[in-house]
Amino acid sequence: MNDRVDKKRKDREKEISRRDFLKYTGTVVLVVGSGCYVAADKGSPKLIKVKEGGAGLPASEGYILVDIKKCQGCTSCMLACSLVHEGVESHSLSRIQVIQNSFESFPDDVTIEQCRQCVDPACFKVCPEDALKTNAKYGNVRMVDRDKCTGCGECVEACPYTPSRPIVVSDEDYKGDMKSRKCDLCANTPYHWDQAGGGPNGKQACVEVCPVGAIKFTKEIPAQEGDDGYKVNLRDRNWRRLGYPIS
Amino acid sequence: MNGYAGKILNLDLNNRKITTIPTSKYEQWVGGHGMGSAIFFDLVKDKTIDGFDPANVVTLMTSPLSGTLVPAASGRTEVQGIGVQSYPIGWFTRSNFGGRFSTMLKFAGWDGIVIEGKADKPVWIDIRNGDVKIRDCTPLSLWGKDTWECQETIWDYVAGSGEYGDWIKTGANGERTTQRSAVLAIGPAGENLSRMACLIHDASNGSGQGGFGAVWGSKRLKAISVIGTGSIRVNNPKALIEARLWQKKNYAFNFDNLKKRWQSTEFQSPPIPITLYRLGRPLTGQRPQACVGCHSGCRGRYEDGVGNESTCFTSLFYLYAKTLDIQREACDLLNRYGLNAAEMFWGELYLGDLYRSGVLGPGKEIDCPLNFKNYGDLEFAERLVKAIAYRNDGRGNTHQFGDDLAEGFVRAAEKWGRLAGDKGDLKTGRLMFPHWGLPRHKEARSQLDWAYGTILGDRDINEHDFDQLRIDPSTAKRYKFKPYAPAEEVVKIYTDKMEPFQGDMLMLDFSTENMYSEHIAKLVTWHRYYTRFWKQSTQFCDWRWPDFLNLYGPGKVGSTGIAEPKFLNAVTGKNFTFLDGIELGRKIWNLDHAVWTLQGRHRDMVHFADYFYTKRSFTLDGQPEYMPGRKNGRWTYIKTLGRHFDKDRFEEFKTRFYKLQGWDTATGYPNRGTLESLGLGYVADELEKNGRIGKKR
Repeated sequence: MNDRVDKKRKDREKEISRRDFLKYTGTVVLVVGSGCYVAADKGSPKLIKVKEGGAGLPASEGYILVDIKKCQGCTSCMLACSLVHEGVESHSLSRIQVIQNSFESFPDDVTIEQCRQCVDPACFKVCPEDALKTNAKYGNVRMVDRDKCTGCGECVEACPYTPSRPIVVSDEDYKGDMKSRKCDLCANTPYHWDQAGGGPNGKQACVEVCPVGAIKFTKEIPAQEGDDGYKVNLRDRNWRRLGYPIS
Repeated sequence: MNGYAGKILNLDLNNRKITTIPTSKYEQWVGGHGMGSAIFFDLVKDKTIDGFDPANVVTLMTSPLSGTLVPAASGRTEVQGIGVQSYPIGWFTRSNFGGRFSTMLKFAGWDGIVIEGKADKPVWIDIRNGDVKIRDCTPLSLWGKDTWECQETIWDYVAGSGEYGDWIKTGANGERTTQRSAVLAIGPAGENLSRMACLIHDASNGSGQGGFGAVWGSKRLKAISVIGTGSIRVNNPKALIEARLWQKKNYAFNFDNLKKRWQSTEFQSPPIPITLYRLGRPLTGQRPQACVGCHSGCRGRYEDGVGNESTCFTSLFYLYAKTLDIQREACDLLNRYGLNAAEMFWGELYLGDLYRSGVLGPGKEIDCPLNFKNYGDLEFAERLVKAIAYRNDGRGNTHQFGDDLAEGFVRAAEKWGRLAGDKGDLKTGRLMFPHWGLPRHKEARSQLDWAYGTILGDRDINEHDFDQLRIDPSTAKRYKFKPYAPAEEVVKIYTDKMEPFQGDMLMLDFSTENMYSEHIAKLVTWHRYYTRFWKQSTQFCDWRWPDFLNLYGPGKVGSTGIAEPKFLNAVTGKNFTFLDGIELGRKIWNLDHAVWTLQGRHRDMVHFADYFYTKRSFTLDGQPEYMPGRKNGRWTYIKTLGRHFDKDRFEEFKTRFYKLQGWDTATGYPNRGTLESLGLGYVADELEKNGRIGKKR
């Protein structure tokens, strides 16, 4: 990726770092100020300190991880995402974005950018309509209440990552009004193939469709600082047997 | 119209006029090749024109499956028009390339592009959803750039003030995408009208056959860039993703249970670059790379960025390069200058042969500026590529050598007097261009589907549908492992799926005794129909489909026959059966054949190069080939090398084949009754008007 985008990313990550809430891999959230603990996973509680978590959001019970060195750039994840959510095939409507440059050298030729289900999501804080919510039914995944959303795009601007994870698009269900969308781990998917549906306790289209296993679902909260928690190594012995590097 | 964007872009370069054709007008052809042939037939009134005539029409067609989750069917684009590569006539022909272009075109709201006329100066086409501009090349200095520089320059232009890696605004209405535009471009070879010039998209998606790069060059069309932010409506989204996951679970590779670990064109193959470098696969860090929606990438991108996405013939070129890295860099040269890899591969070997025999070289009978003492170095390959791309000596100086070769190796050999007499190079087989002046691919005297499909059509078919029948037993014998199954079992699995001839196992008896039989005529017939529709119209990828024998399938039975209509119907809501597709393929094949007939084809022209009737078949590496066949009445894997065609018996075969098609067996012309039964009465009218309608015999 180019220098300008890299700089934008680094600047935003520094900013987040200053806010000092993005460095944890545990599963219990401590909201400083409100003094409350939020249990996100009863199995192996660890403390998460959130300095300015506002409402003290419960952590999402699920996250998408990607391996950008394993991705084959087919964008099947993007097509699956738009298909199960919108019933159409589209790259621009996908909540996960694969960006590639055919002429670039491996591994800089491909990146995958997915919503991080942030422990303290910047998009939530700026929404003037309070349209971004955690959904307890779906393991506290971060979702958009489209009835409330006015499509103002504040969430897009506030997202500290590049490209911004929320997208604002014309919505046929609302007479073409602009509405925000973001990854919900396939919780709200009218075209989900599985009767049990998606969300943290269901199946995510991008994970299931990826032909090479470059996308993984986890219930563990990834390290919030930097990319390492979300961009991981999913290559194993089987991958090496095909002649690809695994380190 | 589920699966469709709804309209086709019509570019009139003569008048710089942009119009649209409703896709519904051609929906009966479903997509891709069928639509392209029908549009070509309607728009080109005089089918006898040369490919360089401005009246030639080039179509770029997608399919309803383009840009969808259908595995190995989403990323192809079909290119058609009158070609300039084949000999003695540039047939109405086709080519096809992968990558992202068809997806982007659909997302931009277009099912295809029709290119008519010739621009008054070099232009490129800038498509951003519905906003289409014919732009001069001059402001971006595109004319003269190689295909990669051209694409990168256009990417920067389209991004405007945006930066890749972020969302890019692509139009006035705030549409956004993170994707680079999909650009299809010609290089210097196309600009200079080399008959072996390609269209190149991204690093190495090449539309090679037909010389469409030169056709674009003659139209002064440098590139088409398309960026789409829209979407494609799918009839049954749930059924589509279910079908995708069904295919993945039951027929695609399974990392925890890999049935094989080497490259192949099978559906079940894991993602491994199908490179054919003489010194093996590069060991540098790499990833597989796939077309949009494909489950199993067949290309690679590398840590040193060399040879990105090159496969197959591209990676065969410059076989005797001194190092692997030089051969990989030679791949990039072909892609950047935009030259057909198959013709360059066989042509380069031919030049070396002529040099070694003292015929070719500086000041020799064929005056060649190349220094063969540098053979194997990158400099040699670069100079050869440039000589052909620029029609000169490869260093910018006027020279007849490059000018001759830019006409293609057969035309060059003819000019050099190498085809005349009993020792002509197409009689001895020294020039291995066995059909229509086009280079050898598979050993077609061995693999009969390839030979007949090519000579009865318009180009090297490049259809790998039956390759498994040769590759698996041949490699099994060579490396002493068990083939997938005994020959009889394999043949049964295949022929059970070959509607409407299902059950005729003799279709896959490749023995010499069966070479000219009615059964082989049925094989070729089925192949023509299957590929015309399911591969070239709905555009299931040639390298992953059909899925006949699959080690993951129940009883090793693959998904072909079930899968193709399942996917098509999920996307479109049509109620197509597999056989419906075969029948539509028959109609498309008849339409194509009618065009060739109007161009001047007669059965007497339908012959291989002379050496195919006198010289025995062989492989470059000297290894034997095995295919299914009967020996003493029993099925086994038989040796199929060491034989040649018999000219008289090939005539008998043609009669059988024409009869099966319902064509005039004396001329090969289509009969009115046959065409009318296919709803092609208007085609029969045009043939009759031109004195080329068949007679019932």
